[in-house]
Amino acid sequence: MNLTLKIWRQKDKATPGKFETYDAKDISPDMSFLEMLDVVSERAQANGQEPCAFDHDCREGICGMCSLVINGVPHGPEAATTTCQLHMRKFKDGDNIVIEPWRASAFPVLRDLVVDRSAFDRIQQKGGFVSINTGGTPDGNAIPISKKEADLAMDAASCIGCGACVAACKNASAMLFVGAKVSQYMHLPQGQAERSRRVLAMVEQHDAEGFGACSNFQECEAVCPKEISVRVIAEMNRDYLRAALVGTDA
Amino acid sequence: MEDAVSQPSPGIGKVISRMHGSTLGQKALMAVSGIALIAFSFGHMAGHLQMFVGAEQYNTYAHFLQSMGGIKWAIRFGLVALTCLHIFSAIQVSMRNRAARPIAYASNKWIVASLGSRTMRASGGIVLFFIGYHILHFTTLTVGTAGFEKIPEYKLINGLLVDDVYRRMVVSFQNPLLALGYIGGVGLLGLHLSHGIQSSLQTLGVLNSAYRPFFKKLGPALAGFLFAGFAIVPLAVLVGIIK
Ligand code: HEM
Ligand code: SF4
Ligand code: FES
Repeated sequence: MNLTLKIWRQKDKATPGKFETYDAKDISPDMSFLEMLDVVSERAQANGQEPCAFDHDCREGICGMCSLVINGVPHGPEAATTTCQLHMRKFKDGDNIVIEPWRASAFPVLRDLVVDRSAFDRIQQKGGFVSINTGGTPDGNAIPISKKEADLAMDAASCIGCGACVAACKNASAMLFVGAKVSQYMHLPQGQAERSRRVLAMVEQHDAEGFGACSNFQECEAVCPKEISVRVIAEMNRDYLRAALVGTDA
Repeated sequence: MEDAVSQPSPGIGKVISRMHGSTLGQKALMAVSGIALIAFSFGHMAGHLQMFVGAEQYNTYAHFLQSMGGIKWAIRFGLVALTCLHIFSAIQVSMRNRAARPIAYASNKWIVASLGSRTMRASGGIVLFFIGYHILHFTTLTVGTAGFEKIPEYKLINGLLVDDVYRRMVVSFQNPLLALGYIGGVGLLGLHLSHGIQSSLQTLGVLNSAYRPFFKKLGPALAGFLFAGFAIVPLAVLVGIIK
């Protein structure tokens, strides 16, 4: 198949970027989206052009490194799928495809389609953990946890930190990400000791990074490759208000 | 639910700075003020429906409201304060949201967001103008009062002479421009609340997984009910059912 790509090119953080158009000829529908970009980059390089930079690592949909807003949708047109797991058979011969980086003041573009997502790391460092000296491996089921609570925690914990929720949100809010990180401990006994401190500190860091507020558009849920539900945002909101009004002083 | 490690409660200063200074605090203020305004709106709508009972009923009700004295002023003050709180937090949040995405996408797409959610700023802004007009119209009698001067006072069955608010409504809404303007105004309020009701419940964390599907339907249904209840009065006057 033959495609026309409009790709965002930007030299570095300080230089303003612009779109450049590339013809992608003879692309196999069995390629993944990133393989297609590999091919286009290799051909550009063979012509003496600078190849286009984009993030990726596992290419198995588990690490959260790949990104790209494809025709206005983070991770492209297929629901519950990372860009690395998206295949060219989802597109038609002759399609125009616009490829942009995640856009948020808290995710500055480093080069071309690569953005700096370390804001997520700083939010995690504020409370996305349990402070326990673990010692030896505890026995399985030593602490009973109901199936229902375990499932809610596991669903939240499946967030891979890709940032598509921020990219999709018209306010560039990271509440789905923070909600997932708060919710995964909220449903476990081990998460209780630091519960108030965690939600207060993580939301504070979210705000300090310059992410927007949640307008409950639910665009994040629609693009999340791990199908994290906005119920984690409701849970975080309730926990934040409880902690801020009557909880402990963080 | 409780923290295992007990720590001192936050002081009042800390509580205020968190509610005022954080995204979640600002949104909570917007949601709480919005819900209080919704409660008032339902009462207001129910009051207007007495237009269908007749002049005696409606004027008795209007006179009762007018004679509340101090309570009336307390409610007015409260409504203004709630509206200011709502608008202030809306502006704060909107400015932050704008700054969070300084470079727009070339291919900007909405995926699932409802029409109501996408138009909150526009619908809220127009509703503000509508409320302003409504107050200048029926409360201060400053605008849209053509024909009011010919309306004599109304004599209640108990002999009391009161303002004929019933007749003012009829005279006003016999003007199609005013009737349609009011229907449009409450229509935009309905649009605002088609998202606002469920959004505020989500903001306050009421929508846990069990209740969410129910509230997601309840919100737009309540907004539609409120719109219908408000719009039916000018409509009924316009088509001559109330005269
Ligand atoms: C007076 C002019 C008004 C303005 C300028 C305004 C503005 C806004 C804006 C911009 C939002 C969305 C904020 C966001 O993106 O998160 C909002 C939400 C909301 N508004 Fe209004 N509004 C107004 C009047 C009203 C009235 C009269 C009511 C109720 C009868 C109301 C109820 C709500 C509710 C319940 C929400 C949802 C809060 C949330 O998302 O948690 N608003 N308003
Ligand atoms: S919540 Fe979903 S979209 Fe957001 S970072 Fe986690 S996996 Fe990515
Ligand atoms: S490259 Fe790891 S999730 Fe896509």
